[in-house]
Amino acid sequence: MRASALAGLPRGLTILVTAAAVLSPLSLIFYQSFLTAPFFDARKTVGVGAYEFIFADPDFWQASTNSVSIAAAMVVIAVPLGALLAFVMERTDLPGKRWIEPLLLVPSFVSPMVLAFGYVVAAGPVGFYTVWATELFGSAPWGIYSLVAIGAIAGLTHVPNVYVYASAALKSLGSDVEEAARVAGASPFRVALTVSLPLIQPALLFSAVLVFFLGFELFGLPLVLGDPEGHLVLSTYLYKLTNKLGVPSYHLMAAVAICIVAVTFPLVLLQRWLLQNSRKYATIKGKAGRMRELPLGRWKWVAAALIGLWLFVGVVVPLSGIALRAFVSNWGYGANLAEVLTLEHFVSVWDEPMLMRAIRNTILIGTVGGAIAVACYTAIGFATHRRNDGWSRFVDYLVLVPRAVPGLLAGLAFLWVFLFFPPLTPLRTTIFSMWLAYTVVWLAYGMRLISSSLLQVSTELEEAARSVGASRGQVSRQITLPLIRPGLMASWLLVFMIFEREYSTGVYLLAPGTEVIGAQLVSLWQGGAIDVVAALSLINVVLVGAGLAVALRFGVRLRD
Amino acid sequence: MLSRVAAVALALSWSVAVAQPVPAGYPADYAQVIAAANKEGKVVIYSALDTKAAQPLIKDFSALYPGVKVEYADLNSTELYNRFIAEVASGQGSADVMWSSAMDLQVKLVDDGQALAYASPEVPKLPAWAVYKNQAYGTTFEPAVFIYNKRLVAADEVPQDHAAFARLITTRADKFKGKVTTYDIEKSGVGFMFVVQDSKYFPGMKDLEKGFGVASYRVYASTGNMLEKVSSGEHLLGYNVLGSYALVRAKKDPALGVVLPRDYTLVLSRVMFIGKQAKNPNAAKLWVDYILSVRGQKLIGSDVELFSIRNDVDAEYTAATLTKQLGPNIKPIPVSAEIVTYLDQKKRLDFLADWKATLAAGAAGK
Repeated sequence: MRASALAGLPRGLTILVTAAAVLSPLSLIFYQSFLTAPFFDARKTVGVGAYEFIFADPDFWQASTNSVSIAAAMVVIAVPLGALLAFVMERTDLPGKRWIEPLLLVPSFVSPMVLAFGYVVAAGPVGFYTVWATELFGSAPWGIYSLVAIGAIAGLTHVPNVYVYASAALKSLGSDVEEAARVAGASPFRVALTVSLPLIQPALLFSAVLVFFLGFELFGLPLVLGDPEGHLVLSTYLYKLTNKLGVPSYHLMAAVAICIVAVTFPLVLLQRWLLQNSRKYATIKGKAGRMRELPLGRWKWVAAALIGLWLFVGVVVPLSGIALRAFVSNWGYGANLAEVLTLEHFVSVWDEPMLMRAIRNTILIGTVGGAIAVACYTAIGFATHRRNDGWSRFVDYLVLVPRAVPGLLAGLAFLWVFLFFPPLTPLRTTIFSMWLAYTVVWLAYGMRLISSSLLQVSTELEEAARSVGASRGQVSRQITLPLIRPGLMASWLLVFMIFEREYSTGVYLLAPGTEVIGAQLVSLWQGGAIDVVAALSLINVVLVGAGLAVALRFGVRLRD
Repeated sequence: MLSRVAAVALALSWSVAVAQPVPAGYPADYAQVIAAANKEGKVVIYSALDTKAAQPLIKDFSALYPGVKVEYADLNSTELYNRFIAEVASGQGSADVMWSSAMDLQVKLVDDGQALAYASPEVPKLPAWAVYKNQAYGTTFEPAVFIYNKRLVAADEVPQDHAAFARLITTRADKFKGKVTTYDIEKSGVGFMFVVQDSKYFPGMKDLEKGFGVASYRVYASTGNMLEKVSSGEHLLGYNVLGSYALVRAKKDPALGVVLPRDYTLVLSRVMFIGKQAKNPNAAKLWVDYILSVRGQKLIGSDVELFSIRNDVDAEYTAATLTKQLGPNIKPIPVSAEIVTYLDQKKRLDFLADWKATLAAGAAGK
């Protein structure tokens, strides 16, 4: 009796800690949204004034409309392109596939803040490419600050999210039906449209919901690109409220956050349901046989050119813009690039202890922090692994909750927790506060990585151990854990990249001691220190790139 | 053994205190403040001025008072305020010294009883408008200026006063549409404060607002952004930009031009006060006195590249040099109860709504 009570202790504790870490900040936001002043202010009263205020604010409705239209535009752009891309990559004899494949995923690992900034310096009204185009052709027929442009850029940079799911679905699908169509005389394009893509409909539906959801949460892109023409989306509207009344309007921000969650949480649940449902579809797929590549014929070069164009627009333009901007002292019309080359911006990063701390912290939070986060995710994974009780289902839903909360506000809520929950207060100005927020915000992502590793361990091995008398704990430690070690290493790498890329969660947690590059970029961008932003962005890209290189070297699958 | 260590430490700290004479003109009992500050050993400062820019002051202060370590944190002015009130409410104590360009928020904190009353010995040397209740002090003298892109705006086009600015952007929409920038007054407290003052001094303010509408102006949260955009030529004209930053950049940046408006030039002064619950109140007093002293102000007027508020300081950037250029048309925003008027939610929202309506009218050509 006593022994079994003790045996349940680690599991109970894991679930309790997870629940506290997830639910306390969220309930704080919920509570704050029904107050008239900051919750720590003695003058606060309870009421729905915050909701009345935002519902009466035309900006709120404008921002909501923009959020929905941008998200919809992203679906319209990313889903067809991602699906076609997956078809071309998985099914055809496209030249140079091995080289293209790793590049395709780059946009999803670069911080959106960095990407957006890259577009401004590369293709903005006085961006490098704009200036070159104007010098060559007399004008540059694009703009990047309009709502349409933001939607298009967001759509193009989210193609990889669709590609990942569509190509996974195609992989598990036999190619015999497609060959039949081919034999009957269908063109490759026709095969894609009438055979392959309809067969992977569930995966496409899932990724459409995912992209819409990501669009609804967009922050970095509209923050940077929406600023000049004043286009707001919900997350940037929320950010703007920080100062609208001159004094903090936490109640208004919390109310907006609750409105966002009211949309995103159902979307998260819908994704989960679709994912489970698509597994049921698995029986309808064609017979998995040897894949045969469809010959593209003369379409080969068209496809290659289109993919090249997309990579150019989505990866080369913004990243080359940043790389260039980081090494010049001023830019725009009339600036001769050869004359303004400089290393000054990197020197000023080097000279500024705060920025050096940011770089050190960012590396630390990705490597050490990433490892500890993976350890936590694994502990939670074990707490639910092969148990089909109420607690497991509770944890299942619990880990989805933070996914629905915008990182910006999750960070603010964590700041409150660290300020007002006495045992944590000494840790507030340490990188621990940042790490905890990151770990909770990315809980759902991390759990997906861990559980996919856990699912690959077949039950027999565990049962064999159990039948010779091992306890659950022993099985976990001595059988399952060693078996999933490669999976854990891969998860660590992916979490490293995600943590290097993260920016919105840290915005409000930023303090002397907790600096990280991502949040620092938002703050420096607002302050207009563009030189330093460029240098830091490049450093950030290099860090993510290092992670990516290691991942490719060890053959880690870059998809969750 | 232990007691001997303690004795040595005591002797050391005593010797430090002895080595530091009371600054000239200060009361004799100031020695006690210095001794107590050395015992506190550090001062925590929250400031809206970049650490990098403040570095000369921190270094010089540390040379003057080696026993007091400076812990300096820079945050934007809204964050500064938010963090301060949250930390005070959580009972953990917050900054010893608050130093911010959001003058209104600083005055509000004083009004809310968050500041320590301290009559600095330097008070007689400050202009009267920069002293609030012997609790908060203006420390700098930073003009609000126009900026323009020298490559793309001809010298004779550049507006020299507010009326000319309004006229130019209204009549030359062909050239300036989408190319005029100023603060987003919804995002920036400083920008908001400036336009409130503008409506006090500039009778044609409504025309200017309409002009912003005509020119579909672009707005940003900070001076840094405006400087960057005008320098690169994405925008051509900037309005109400912080002159301290603009002049510094213009020295190195061939594309950036700066105008001190002739009809009147607003002046912002960074406000400093000591927190009521400061853990190191004596060290905080040393810091405040140092910043207001000739020695501190001299640095502010030179290496820090803000403007010294004192008239008796000889440096590159000072109130005196600006006043010589502009005479009575220099209009400092007073550190006073009046500037918190628009922190009242209703008044602020009404002002914003009116601002937007005027813009829209301008854009519609009415």
